[in-house]
Amino acid sequence: MLLREVEYVRPATVEEAVSLLGSYEGARALAGGQTLVNVMKARAAAPDVLVDLADLEELRAIGFSADGLLEIGAMVTYAQLVGSSEVEVARPILAEVAATIADVQVRNRGTVGGNVCVADPTNHLPPLLLALDATFTIRGPESERTVSADEFFVGVYMTAVSEGELLTKVSVPPSSGAGDGFAGLTIGKHGTYVANAAATVSDEGGVRIALGCVDAVPVRASAMEERLAGGDLSAEAVAAAAEGLGASLDPPSDAHGSGDFRRHLAEVSAVRAVLQAASRRKAA
Amino acid sequence: MTTVTDQPAKTLEKGFVGQSIPRKEDARLVQGLGTFFDDVRRHGMGYVHFVRSPYAHAKIVSIDVSRALELDGVYGTITGDEVAISTDPFFEMSVEPGGLIKDYALAVGRVRHMGEPVAAVCAATRELARDAAELVEVSYDPLPVLVEAEESLKDEVVLHDDAGSNVVWSGVFEWGDVDQALAEADHVVKIDRLHFNRFSSTPLECAGALVEYDRGTHEWTLHCNHQMPGVGAIWMAPALRVGIDKLRFVTQDIGGAFGNKICLHPQYVVLCLLARKLGRPVQWTEWRTDQHTANAHGNERTFLDAEVAVKADGEMTGFKVRALDDCGAFPRYEPLGCIIWAQVTPGMYGWRNIKVDFTQVCTNKSPVSPNRGYSRMQHLWLTERIVDIVAAELGLDPVEVRKKNYVKTEQMPYETPNGCVYDSGDYAAALDLVLELVDHGSIEDRRREAAARGKLLGFGIGSTLDSGTNNFGQSTLLNPELQFSGNNEAASVKLDIFGEVVVTLGTVPQGQGHETTAAQVVADILGCSPDQVNVRRGHDTWFNSHAGFSGTYASQFAFTGLGAVKGAAELLRDEMVQLAAAVLQADAEAIELVDGMARIKDGPEEAALPFMALGAIVNANNAFLPPDFNPTLNHRYVCRPYFGMVDTEKKTGQLTLTYATQIHAAVVEVDPDTGEVEIVDYAAVDDCGVRINPQIVEGQVHGATAHAIGAALSEEFVYDEEGTLLTSNFYDYHVPHALDMPPLKTGAMESPSPVAPLGAKGMGEGGGGGIHCICAAIQDALAGAGKPIVSTSCNPPHRVWAMLRDPESSRAGVAVESK
Amino acid sequence: MATPASSHGVSVEVNGEQIELEVPARRLLVHFLRDDLGLTGTHVGCDTGNCGACTVHLNGEPVKSCMLLAVQADGARITTIEGLAADGELTLLQRSFNEHHALQCGYCTPGMLMSATALLERTPRPSEEDVRLALQGNICRCTGYVNIVEAVVAVGGGA
Repeated sequence: MLLREVEYVRPATVEEAVSLLGSYEGARALAGGQTLVNVMKARAAAPDVLVDLADLEELRAIGFSADGLLEIGAMVTYAQLVGSSEVEVARPILAEVAATIADVQVRNRGTVGGNVCVADPTNHLPPLLLALDATFTIRGPESERTVSADEFFVGVYMTAVSEGELLTKVSVPPSSGAGDGFAGLTIGKHGTYVANAAATVSDEGGVRIALGCVDAVPVRASAMEERLAGGDLSAEAVAAAAEGLGASLDPPSDAHGSGDFRRHLAEVSAVRAVLQAASRRKAA
Repeated sequence: MTTVTDQPAKTLEKGFVGQSIPRKEDARLVQGLGTFFDDVRRHGMGYVHFVRSPYAHAKIVSIDVSRALELDGVYGTITGDEVAISTDPFFEMSVEPGGLIKDYALAVGRVRHMGEPVAAVCAATRELARDAAELVEVSYDPLPVLVEAEESLKDEVVLHDDAGSNVVWSGVFEWGDVDQALAEADHVVKIDRLHFNRFSSTPLECAGALVEYDRGTHEWTLHCNHQMPGVGAIWMAPALRVGIDKLRFVTQDIGGAFGNKICLHPQYVVLCLLARKLGRPVQWTEWRTDQHTANAHGNERTFLDAEVAVKADGEMTGFKVRALDDCGAFPRYEPLGCIIWAQVTPGMYGWRNIKVDFTQVCTNKSPVSPNRGYSRMQHLWLTERIVDIVAAELGLDPVEVRKKNYVKTEQMPYETPNGCVYDSGDYAAALDLVLELVDHGSIEDRRREAAARGKLLGFGIGSTLDSGTNNFGQSTLLNPELQFSGNNEAASVKLDIFGEVVVTLGTVPQGQGHETTAAQVVADILGCSPDQVNVRRGHDTWFNSHAGFSGTYASQFAFTGLGAVKGAAELLRDEMVQLAAAVLQADAEAIELVDGMARIKDGPEEAALPFMALGAIVNANNAFLPPDFNPTLNHRYVCRPYFGMVDTEKKTGQLTLTYATQIHAAVVEVDPDTGEVEIVDYAAVDDCGVRINPQIVEGQVHGATAHAIGAALSEEFVYDEEGTLLTSNFYDYHVPHALDMPPLKTGAMESPSPVAPLGAKGMGEGGGGGIHCICAAIQDALAGAGKPIVSTSCNPPHRVWAMLRDPESSRAGVAVESK
Repeated sequence: MATPASSHGVSVEVNGEQIELEVPARRLLVHFLRDDLGLTGTHVGCDTGNCGACTVHLNGEPVKSCMLLAVQADGARITTIEGLAADGELTLLQRSFNEHHALQCGYCTPGMLMSATALLERTPRPSEEDVRLALQGNICRCTGYVNIVEAVVAVGGGA
């Protein structure tokens, strides 16, 4: 609908942005706006100050760190992920998943930082980044810190980024022979997820599985991961490993399905994601 | 091409009619130069935002607007108390108890659905109106909430004290002798419960209006998108205590309506009151969330205790059922839904013994209003579900059951058990065509191939009728006191001083291409090109020719709208011919209109008058005309279809005039692990008689199919027990996007209507064929997994999965008693 | 250091014309275009950024103007539907829409044309799938997309 009164500022540097976020209570970072503007239209949230990150070129870079991590600036858009040769080479699943987020217009504006900082349980990137063992760099007024995905996602719409801080980049280990998978059920093609799972199988056979939509934050399917540690990633073994996964969850019920349906979908998605990852793994 | 044996089709010599000429409307629309009501501005206008109830059912304890009024830029407010003083309740169509309901433009004393408008604020900008609305303090005392029709029927909690019951209307429709048919049947198939889910067409442009009040003449002008202004005025004028002529409706371009823009009168009355009270134009644009929460939902109907009589050879001789219709918080137009389904009582089938025990109740949900396919779609879904369930339970081929039981083309025009007349059609041929389009012969191969990929393939047919051109006399079946009968539409066609042909329509187009098809009809009659025919955009009660039932609804434009255009154009033609004859000094029979000229047939070149000359003579140069000849070159025509009378005792009569056929077929693949349904092949065959513009007809078939696919797979208005609508935006209420649509194959047949002026039947609504065939296809796909019964119209993954997980539960309500 | 303010002067190029205007920070770009500039071809169809009726080009890329604030467009280049046909000369795509009956009520049409125009600029000969992907963010309730997709593919010389 229509926003409440708000103040807007567009800083020129990251330092300025952090300073502004710290100076005004009720200040929020405005990235792509594909969620925040809607939230403000509905008046479900009404920050007093919007700090627009649009001019912060530093946050739009995609590159590699000294130790080969794929570094994605917080303001990198989904479209940029999709078109990035660095991403294609290092961790193509990011582009593959990003290409299914909503539509062209949203992908032209929506950002990686926005997707993770909104921390909507149905968002695409949180479970994917958890499975990929990504890390998140947060800049504060005095210092910068890097946290794991576990530490980053704190609750529904809540992350480790506190008032006066800014997520600056997400770092993802390169594939190095690992295979990645992502599966789930959406409401219509390229719609919101009802349940999803992300999985990676390393070239040594190590498995990481993260589930979205079933809890406040993305969760690891640890028991399933352990059962697959033996290295047998056949369809039967993966299906067997998923048994009981649903029972261990307490997902929400809504118009798109009951808790039971989501329990079932979590298992199905986990199996599909692992099988997809296994099939893409490069032989050791 | 079928022929009608009874009467020759009344068609025109095909010239422009029958061609897919590109639309005249497009030039402005592709440039963003259309004028939709929100594009209209007035100096000093105020913007309105409605304060709406967050509760589904509550007493309004108090409303305090003082803080809102203090906000700078706020022009004023209005509440239910003021409305109750300055207006009378809207006219109710039903008999008691529903007829006793008091329905005002704003909630008075009580709110009965989430999102019901309680107050309105008007301010200088949209944003300020929104801000001010938040400052209106309303306190409520919540009341128990009714979201299930079956619960509502118990009358433990009554929504409208004036009515004393939640029942709006009830009646029993019975023709033939179904109990006898059941007794004589070889099989009786019983189906305990089928439920047609609540959804609507959600036109992309929301409702709204800009309303001006003239203090000198006490007239209101509503720049709006009401699709049936005649009916709007009938509701609004008495409520406002003014004559109908005090309301001028102006529509220009409308962004889709599909029936959802018929019941806009409550909000429009608020705007009228505000415009008068504040002395300035006021504007309101509905928000998407408000459209979903509080505007117009389509019929939600539960069919209970169905019993179907079937002979050993597969002939279905009759059925009986109890229908429970949930009209939401206020019935409004909706009691007509209790009757209108009877236009298609037997569906496409020849059974003669039918009993429907129909009850409509109120619940704490959004009011229902006509939605594409209005009430007939729900009933046709019932008949198609019956056919497929009978076929499945008796081990019969659904194609054969249909062919056996369809009304045959030789029987056309066919009188149904309740006196409606199916004018023309060849259902068997249409079915054959659709089967060919989806390569029905290969289904079993495809089923095996899909199974190898882990998918369950299913095939389904959905046959449906689009009944058009209503007899408003059917309303007397609802309420014998109602003074409505017949139908009409008006149009005027004139030849101006410079030879321009100008048409005004009584209809209110919302994308159906009326400007183009009207021009085609006129061009053929006047012997000119459609480019020379200017059809004025939209509807304006000051300038247009319109009649009491004017509007665009009920699949009738091709009959009544174009019938009026044809009539007016013929009157004009006849006069032009006479005038040319007088000027050229020839007999009228010797004159023809060709290429924009009136000329002597086979005469010399000079024996011709351009239209401009005719126009000039009448308007500016008429002295030489004989005194007894006074041409106006400006004609209005009212197309009045003829109907037999309605018998309110037997509940029989000609309730509608034309019946377009649509037969759809779908091939689906179900993912057994997720319940996801993918449509892998789809075809629709349409037979609407003569097609004035085949491309436009086909576009309507595409659109109706998309609406049906959405309704079948994802579109549902879902409520929780507190009466909160859970699907109030396009994230949760998922409509088909470009990637969701399967490739569509279409076929067409033309069985001209013997009763329509141009042999063309209305066809825009479609009848929900897609819903019927997708339900059938899903049931077929799951047949190997325990034979679950599809008993709801909308089957998103969670419902399909429930059927897969527990087919027995879904079958629990179905039983077969065989001799 | 910039200071937050509830209203800003924006300088934006719209359809080739430079516009300088003071706007409230909270004003959505779509309302700035429609109400402040009178460019009513861009439409509003929903509250949650799903329908795409508000699609315009921002620096050459299709975006939904209901999810942008007018202030965010400061310094940018915007093209709306009104900016497609130069001097009333319809583009090939607009004409193709007419030929293929790719519009009925016309409400989604400006957004569709903006998305499809952007596609054709990047992919001059799109496949049907390319087109559907490009139009996924534009809802139509009238046409079922059939003729729209055909119209766009046809411009690329496809079937």
